[in-house]
Amino acid sequence: MKPKQNQHPLRYSIYSLIAVVAAMIFFFPIYWAFSTSLRNPLDTFTVSGLGIPFLNFEPTLTNWVDQLATEEARKAVYNSTVIAVFASILALALGIPAAYALARFRFKTISNKDLTIWFLSQRVLPPVATVVPFYLIMQFLNLLDTQLALILINATFVLPFVVVIVRQTFLDLPIELEEAAFMDGARNYGAFLRVALPLAAPAIAATGLIMFAFTWNEFLFAITLSSKEVITIPIHMAGAVDTRGVQFWFMAVRAMIAMIPPVLIALLAQRYIVQGLTLGAVKG
Amino acid sequence: MKTHRNTKARFVFLLPAAIWVLTFTIFPLVYSLYISVHKVETKMNVSREKVPMLDASGNPVLDAKGNPRTKIKINREKISTWTNIGFTNFKRLVDDPQVHSAIKVTSIFVLVAVPSQLVLGILLALLFNQRLWARSFLRAVMLLPIFATPLAVGYLFFTIFYEEGGPLGFLGVPFLSNPDWALFSVILVDIWQWTPFCFLVFLAALQGIPNELMEAAKMESKSKWGLFANIIFPMLTPTIVIVLLLRLAEAIKLFDIPFALTGGGPGVATQSMSFLAFRTGLRYFDLGYASAMSYCLLIIVMIIVTLFFRKLRQSYA
Repeated sequence: MKPKQNQHPLRYSIYSLIAVVAAMIFFFPIYWAFSTSLRNPLDTFTVSGLGIPFLNFEPTLTNWVDQLATEEARKAVYNSTVIAVFASILALALGIPAAYALARFRFKTISNKDLTIWFLSQRVLPPVATVVPFYLIMQFLNLLDTQLALILINATFVLPFVVVIVRQTFLDLPIELEEAAFMDGARNYGAFLRVALPLAAPAIAATGLIMFAFTWNEFLFAITLSSKEVITIPIHMAGAVDTRGVQFWFMAVRAMIAMIPPVLIALLAQRYIVQGLTLGAVKG
Repeated sequence: MKTHRNTKARFVFLLPAAIWVLTFTIFPLVYSLYISVHKVETKMNVSREKVPMLDASGNPVLDAKGNPRTKIKINREKISTWTNIGFTNFKRLVDDPQVHSAIKVTSIFVLVAVPSQLVLGILLALLFNQRLWARSFLRAVMLLPIFATPLAVGYLFFTIFYEEGGPLGFLGVPFLSNPDWALFSVILVDIWQWTPFCFLVFLAALQGIPNELMEAAKMESKSKWGLFANIIFPMLTPTIVIVLLLRLAEAIKLFDIPFALTGGGPGVATQSMSFLAFRTGLRYFDLGYASAMSYCLLIIVMIIVTLFFRKLRQSYA
């Protein structure tokens, strides 16, 4: 259903106004973090109006400079990046072939549909149900407070997403192209690697980005399995509340650092979000 | 569905992921069941012993009289004792006021937040399906909350709901200090974060309705409401079911937002089931009881998912 072309001007203005107000409500908290992050700590609570930089207060970058200068902040960014990158790569490496199998072959003992649903059902599993066992397992393996532990667990939690989304992508590709490759003598692996994979590359890249955002945002396992060394950004944030209370100015900087990458991903992967977040059930 | 010739290759493609998921989810879940029928007590055994003091080259350090000096070494040894107590942990759940409160908090949260997100999402989608000023820009702005780090969002709203000097301070509402308001605040934050997702999905579904169908429907229905109730809503139903399922499964896991926004408080007013299980297991180290709690949560989620299962299966046909 396309938007109507001829609309009453008054209705157009009213609808537009409501839409602008709605967008402002959803934008305000992010804007507020940005505004707070630029304030001198003393100004945090005294700024009037909408806290517009230059208009309501004199902005300063000191909070950003102070925060980024701490070793802990840089470590958090480093850890979060490493964990998110490797967990996404691992999930893609395991998930893409499985997605291809579900899209292109027929399984007999358990049907393709049930296999897909099985992968999908892993996603609704409440993470807290596996927090205690994973804690004990990682303790036993001497992996507490390591990047490896969080990479393995995050890869596990995003893997079903990869399987289900990429499966849909392969299904949408014309199978004839791969059949043509068979005529040219290619075997299954050749058809997969040289024909299907390159065609699915944009969707796979978008899926990878979405998985990166999920892992970047993960908090429960990070705080369970890490204590000193492998501080991720969310844990670093939780640490901003100390005995002196919440330091709003640093909090705002940390919130911005935490949110910028995933928010950019949301904008970049816009086309794929609907399909991605509904696990391929709704086409974007 | 057209498929390739079936060769053994299909297992090479599928098995790594299948085995991975089995290992990393089924095993912890079975292990968790084992933990849940145990009482796990972790004690720190602290003992002192006198050991000779050595200098850098490994020779004993002597005191003024020529005797070797000693120092006290403290040995810490973590000892966990596992006692099988059957289903005692599960029975404990029944009478635990903390559990009752957590179930209540989670239920209220889910029952208020999820329907609000769906209704707001549909309304916004209908709005954005019209011709609007700067439509794609506004739509992009609406997307920003979707992937915003939930924990950061929680802390962010802590600064916004701050009662003295926060941007909403003028309202004089005890957003975080009053137990009822605190739960409502958690709900508001979740609505803020997830309405855009519902909106986006519903907008995609609306735009998928064929134009001809809409035109034909407009001929027949007289009122806008009739158009919505008779045509648009039925067309949206499959999407609504999917979004509802995804949101329910997600909302029940509520953890990050109360952790950051309220710390579960005031008191236990915003302590969700996940939060309680986390605290019990990893703050008070009552591992068995925590496992029993999270198992119950798992079962509740399973029930909900099963209720939707047939609908879900259809959409993957």
